[in-house]
Amino acid sequence: MVHPQRFAVDLCPTLPEPMPSAATATSPAHADDERSLIARAVVGDRAAARQLYDTHAPRVHRLTYRFCGDSDLAADLTQDVFVLVFRELPKFRGESAFSTWIHRIAVTVSLNAMRKVKRLRERETDLDEAQFHEEKSGDIDSDLRNRVQAAIDALPHGLRMALVMHTIEGYTHAEVAGALGIAEGTSKARVFEARAKLRVALGDYLEEL
Amino acid sequence: MKHEDSTDRKLDLLLQDAAATYRVPPEPSFDLIWSRVEQEAFARSAVHGTRGRMGMLVAAVAASLLLGVMLGRYSARATAPPAVATTGRDAGNTNARAAAAPYQRETEEFLGNTAVLLAALPRDGSTEHAPTLLLQQAARLLTKTRLLLDSPAAGDARMRDLLQDLELVLAQVARLQPRRQNAELTMISQTLQTRDLVPRIRSAVTDLNFSDYPE
Repeated sequence: MVHPQRFAVDLCPTLPEPMPSAATATSPAHADDERSLIARAVVGDRAAARQLYDTHAPRVHRLTYRFCGDSDLAADLTQDVFVLVFRELPKFRGESAFSTWIHRIAVTVSLNAMRKVKRLRERETDLDEAQFHEEKSGDIDSDLRNRVQAAIDALPHGLRMALVMHTIEGYTHAEVAGALGIAEGTSKARVFEARAKLRVALGDYLEEL
Repeated sequence: MKHEDSTDRKLDLLLQDAAATYRVPPEPSFDLIWSRVEQEAFARSAVHGTRGRMGMLVAAVAASLLLGVMLGRYSARATAPPAVATTGRDAGNTNARAAAAPYQRETEEFLGNTAVLLAALPRDGSTEHAPTLLLQQAARLLTKTRLLLDSPAAGDARMRDLLQDLELVLAQVARLQPRRQNAELTMISQTLQTRDLVPRIRSAVTDLNFSDYPE
């Protein structure tokens, strides 16, 4: 039996699904619940859609903020992601985890937005807004912390996204690969390269530590 | 080598710190974001169709389809196994509800799949053709409609009406011919609109979801 959602995507393959990710796989009961919510949201059940949104919006917002560093833009991107999610939901085939699919959309939306806002990379993150938690890591001085953050910001897009997702946000390589539409090995290679660039950029500081 | 290990460990420390300090997002108003999402994502208009003047043709094809539907229903009933109805006199509401639960789930899934199929149909006036896969899916859903019509799921009058209307539309979709597809899509679009089918599917799904909580 052909899954109806799968064949719907075959008709309009605008958002290819990422590789399945073991890390995002959920328990069968949870997956059933989520499938039911998705089926209801597809036919316009807003309560079901809201439940899906409540489950995934915080992580999507955190990721978009980590990418762009601007709270208004992150809120706009989160909105864009979920508008797209609910519009494209009938095409979701269920071959990968729903969260992986959403994160792939989040990455695509964020990348497109960042390409449009060319000067975004130069934007100084508002110190108040960034809520630096000095008390959580008092043994690293703020100058060094700023250097680390500047070095991360200076990484090429692809490397920075992989590093932020994997090392900062704690996504598995499978999840990063799924969201960025790359192979798992490529995700590992990007994180490795990003770390190498950071080692070079922070060379003096690393010697002194 | 040792030196590299040492700088690697130091970098790890810095990155651990970055996880807690690098662009930590402020708490946004998720409710506000949701309200905008809801407004944009769910405010789409229903299928827009150009209403052609095809009265006689529509009537003729609809009549033949109706005949086909009736024949299909008759044959499905003739080949279906006898219904099991063994509830005793003392069977309470709980048992009845438990017995109805599988049908409810089936109906909900059926309605979801049908909504997906209807959304995947080429728009009225579109030059693209409905793929064979879609027609096959319509045929499968048509069979399921007939089974549901013969089940307790059709006990409710409104649900029965909806299933009968969907049966007609699914039969139309399953019989789409490449040569006359535009005319047939127009008819399907008209049926969807005149019978108010998509909103009725939504309403039925909502009813099913709340039927577990009787007043």
